[in-house]
Amino acid sequence: MKFIDPHIHCVSRTTDDYKFMQRCGVVAVSEPAFWAGFDRSSAASFGDYFRHLMDIEPKRAAMYGIDHYCWLCINAKEAENVALSREVIKLIPPLLNHPRVLGVGEIGLNKNTRNEITIFEEQVDIAAKYNQLILIHTPHLEDKHKGTSIITSILKNDQRIKPERVLIDHCEEHTIRMARDAGFWAGLTIYPVSKVTPVRGADLLEQFGPQMICVNSASDWGESHPANMIDTCLEYRRRGHSEVEALQIFFDNPCRFFSQSGKWKLKLGHSDTR
Amino acid sequence: MASAKDILDHFFLEMRWRTLSLAADLDRVERGEQSAALFKTDSRLQKLHKAFGILASASGNRAEQVQNLFSDTTAPPPR
Repeated sequence: MKFIDPHIHCVSRTTDDYKFMQRCGVVAVSEPAFWAGFDRSSAASFGDYFRHLMDIEPKRAAMYGIDHYCWLCINAKEAENVALSREVIKLIPPLLNHPRVLGVGEIGLNKNTRNEITIFEEQVDIAAKYNQLILIHTPHLEDKHKGTSIITSILKNDQRIKPERVLIDHCEEHTIRMARDAGFWAGLTIYPVSKVTPVRGADLLEQFGPQMICVNSASDWGESHPANMIDTCLEYRRRGHSEVEALQIFFDNPCRFFSQSGKWKLKLGHSDTR
Repeated sequence: MASAKDILDHFFLEMRWRTLSLAADLDRVERGEQSAALFKTDSRLQKLHKAFGILASASGNRAEQVQNLFSDTTAPPPR
């Protein structure tokens, strides 16, 4: 079976992970811009990071037969620094036509502060002005419910934003309805300690799927692994769901969402038309 | 959808293991110095005990109820 990991931070992963994904059937990934584990000191540092995402990582992924796309933004954690964030935001519009850039993301909130909300709204404005897809980061742990509520309220109140062009990521049991009920795509991140386990992911797929839902590993520099997405599919299949049903969730759904960018090359997975 | 018994048959040993793991976690905290005061005052432990109550008494959407228990319920920042 073919897979797409719609949210993975490849710059933090080893070549062994690429080999692993290739062996599992992962043929494409999308990589949102995120926090590097430390706060960067200048906008130029982000400029280099964006070049890494747009030009370097796709070449590295291609060595393992994986089609690599990316998203650009300043992440929610560094958005606390409003002055730096505005310098970084200025870098983004000229890069949005790059063939590997799917949209603006992962934007959102971290600790639900006023500064984070300000920068979130400014990046939503960029996405709206340039007609870009949006990939949303929702906060972790105790901040998730409140942050998801703030984010979805802002998006729903912006008449320029079409919900089907937004994916609300890192949804869990208490937030997925906020995304789905408003017509947004929902993302499940299989990251066992702080987000969702493969078994709980399969539970959510049975309760809410398979329409407008994507599953990802969000593998990064923390304790995470590309296998978590695959394990979720295996658990889903173990429960008796067919390969066609699984293909819809783990391949066709990301294809459908990303295809709205006009840049995504892969076709729906009913036949191998790559 | 499989039968409830089939689902329980599949998950029971893992559920048992996870329950034991939580019990051992609490024992480990209790063996630490000044644990009695911590058990009385620490809001995280108090929330865990409330969560155990949800597991024991609630029906349906237990995971969602536990998630809500561990969520910040304060108002958004003023705009």
